[in-house]
Amino acid sequence: MASSAGYAAEMQRIDEDIAKTDGAASSTPTDPERITRHIYRLYQKASISGDLAGLTAIERVIDDAVRFLANPGDLYLLKAHAAFKLHKLPEVDAALLAVPSVYESDEGRLIQADLDFQHGRYQAAESGYVEVLRHERSWGALARLAHLRGKMGDATGADHLYQEAEGQLTAKEMRAYAWLEVQRGFLDFARGRDGEAQLHYRRADAAYPGYWLVDEHIAELLGAEGKYDEAVAMYQSILSNGRRPELEQAIGELCELAGRSGPAAYWKERALTAYLQSVRRGEVHYYHHLVDYYSDVAEDGAEAVKWADKDLQLRENFATQAALAWAFYRDRRFNEAVHWIDRALATGVVDAQIYSRAGEIYSAAGNEVEGRDLQERALNLNPALGRFHVHH
Amino acid sequence: MADHNDPNAVNSIFSDIDVSAADLYDIFGFPGDDRTGIDRVVIALTFAAVPQAGVFDADMLYRILIAPDHRIARTSRDDASLAGLLAYLEAIKEKYLKILKPSEVRVTVDDDNRANLRFIGFPGGSFSASIATNESASVRSPGGHQINVFVGGRDDAFFNDLPGFFRSINYAPQFYHVPHTMRDVRELKIPKTFLELEGNDLFNYDPRLPEWGHGVKKELPSGPLTWTGNRFKKDQNGNFRFVYSGRDARAGQNCNAIILELPLSFLTATPDVHRVVNTWGESWVLKAANKIETIPDDPLWIEHPHVLLDALTLDDELKKYKLVDTDGQAFADAALSEREDNRQLGANNFWLAPHFIKRLGHLGWGFGPSITALGLASAFDHDNSPVSVHRTYASVLEAFPRVSKILFQELNMPDDSWNRKGLPIPLRRAIDIFIPNVNSIDMDTTGTWPFGRRLEDQVATRFLSTFLDMSASLNGQKYHVDLLNDPALWSSAPIEPKTPPNPLKNDKEFLADFPYLADPW
Repeated sequence: MASSAGYAAEMQRIDEDIAKTDGAASSTPTDPERITRHIYRLYQKASISGDLAGLTAIERVIDDAVRFLANPGDLYLLKAHAAFKLHKLPEVDAALLAVPSVYESDEGRLIQADLDFQHGRYQAAESGYVEVLRHERSWGALARLAHLRGKMGDATGADHLYQEAEGQLTAKEMRAYAWLEVQRGFLDFARGRDGEAQLHYRRADAAYPGYWLVDEHIAELLGAEGKYDEAVAMYQSILSNGRRPELEQAIGELCELAGRSGPAAYWKERALTAYLQSVRRGEVHYYHHLVDYYSDVAEDGAEAVKWADKDLQLRENFATQAALAWAFYRDRRFNEAVHWIDRALATGVVDAQIYSRAGEIYSAAGNEVEGRDLQERALNLNPALGRFHVHH
Repeated sequence: MADHNDPNAVNSIFSDIDVSAADLYDIFGFPGDDRTGIDRVVIALTFAAVPQAGVFDADMLYRILIAPDHRIARTSRDDASLAGLLAYLEAIKEKYLKILKPSEVRVTVDDDNRANLRFIGFPGGSFSASIATNESASVRSPGGHQINVFVGGRDDAFFNDLPGFFRSINYAPQFYHVPHTMRDVRELKIPKTFLELEGNDLFNYDPRLPEWGHGVKKELPSGPLTWTGNRFKKDQNGNFRFVYSGRDARAGQNCNAIILELPLSFLTATPDVHRVVNTWGESWVLKAANKIETIPDDPLWIEHPHVLLDALTLDDELKKYKLVDTDGQAFADAALSEREDNRQLGANNFWLAPHFIKRLGHLGWGFGPSITALGLASAFDHDNSPVSVHRTYASVLEAFPRVSKILFQELNMPDDSWNRKGLPIPLRRAIDIFIPNVNSIDMDTTGTWPFGRRLEDQVATRFLSTFLDMSASLNGQKYHVDLLNDPALWSSAPIEPKTPPNPLKNDKEFLADFPYLADPW
């Protein structure tokens, strides 16, 4: 039975609640619960719709509201969440530390573990998740641990954890269920198991119809299967609800693959312009997309290294290390590329894409044997490697 | 009450958790008053009116479990020691799962608001029925038993000063805006008490804000959330200040309800022997995975004890649902289980016996001295403390001697009217009442609490009476479960306001006939 609710219905409910609680901050006497609920709904709206501008605005709203509340712990927790989604990691730390009860709460500890992950402290992240799970096996903590274990090569264990997380969810939490199905589908996709991925994506769509996150992953799968026009149509449908430069880049790449160079150039240019505009506004969220763009679309090694280095300054982890290595490779600085890909591999990450790039870097640096070995390992992980994919 | 807003997963005190149809309120149960025909038992499970009174949530499944049994025989050899307690727990450990094997009535309501009932495992036959909601219906079992059924909106039959109860346990979220992240700010580390504590400004009645705690909340102060005084508060006339107001917190509010009137001969093949009908209710919500389709669901061997039970006993339909709330005995969850999500065990709550003992010890140090201060005798051994004390226990061995009398004393009834046949029925004890967490309806009584629960019973105040010393007397009469419901007691007590803790009757008259609960507002 398909859900009768879904994305549009939930967004409507959120909008109604926002309207009901509008003016909460200026009401007298101050009603902290109403203020918190209003801002929580604003956060939910921006977060669920993937609206980065909205999330940025939330930060300002929270800063204003905090002044009215004697115990603004919940707002600081929201601020930490918003800053995390915007990759503003120092602000995440600051928000968590602002109120001891936030820092010590399970939610606060999960975000601290997320920070550990982002900063490449994987053992600390794992310990943080496991510690919180000792208190309560919440779906959020299970999903985080699943993500970590999946990245470290335990795809089966990750899928079991995602499944356990799904078991915690009720019919009142279909968006969360759909999100988990997307993660399970992506685990399969990353191993070239398109059929299984498609089943998960379909289940996600049935659970929570109209969710752009599901459509985005289905579009990626279509692109990987060579169904470029269908993929482009799906991405364009998502874009009709709001600007998403990374999807514009994906359309550009798909047009390129389809041999339509004119539209390809148009969409890539649009994406790049949006990335750079974001950077000019002082935002850091698109650094990693710029690395990806300059490495693989423009193949401009020097620019790629510049943005990869900026991203690595924010958070040094296997992803940013591998991205910097790949940027150095594009810039034909192979020794530096080897240095950084070694650092990425030393983290224990098990990822077909990273292995494949490591293989190319080693080969370019003259180590053909190691390069071939890594390529082989990459293909063992994902026999369908090399197809269209999106930088998530 | 029993457990409004319990457990925390559906707790609507907090701002971003909506009231849920899974929040069970009460389970009432009593023998039918028509004594001319066959024995019939009335069972009514009430829960939050979500989405609204008379309209049901199609993702929910409700169960009313029923296990008839013979009456407990008590002998003079009954042991009130810790060893006796352990023996008692051992005896009931597998009673419900393996011996009694409860039958059940399972209820779902579809998207057209039509109720589907399955009567499962009854000696009188298993069958199903589909009825219109909000209308009384009569269905017939395969064996020809006539069963009255109502699934619909009703006036909430609960009448209780809920804010008073929360004030007595210093429950901050009822009085303050408590952020979610401050999880330790719920029951504050202040002695629990029936009487206000001098200087307890965090909870004492504020005459400038009479609606405080009745929907009005204050900002949580930044100072220490503790109390450092050493006596009960008294006014200029030497009167204590009661934490209760006697007001009905649920006046004018509705619930949804499943109400059954069943012949005892349908429930048991030996109605002459099985004179006690044990019952409890459960709410289950559909799992997300099963909202779209059935997928394999591995049991989760995690810390929540009910998961283990589930894996052993769940049938295919229930595996699609997640247990949220149970309700058997008034106050077993709200007062003794501290509303924890993973303590929703129903009849299988013997797992929680050690917690109950420690929790009773904690409550006793609060309520015991406030009872004594009023000139009444308490069953809790508080070393003659002149004021309530905040004390917790890590060890059952340490707590047990303090609470053994509360657990094992017989709870006197105000008169003999409850025992309508004059049979040698032993009085109930707290240990019998709360473990297992079921409503045990004695068919040879009127079903008044604790021999069941009648709609008109003021159970919240009767629960408080379990802390009284039932061997004591007042005005020549032994203490009894309705002593604290007696307005005369309070009018002569040195206390303000001079009212029983909770209202004496419901805000709406109950009906003389099925479905007994009053029409919704």
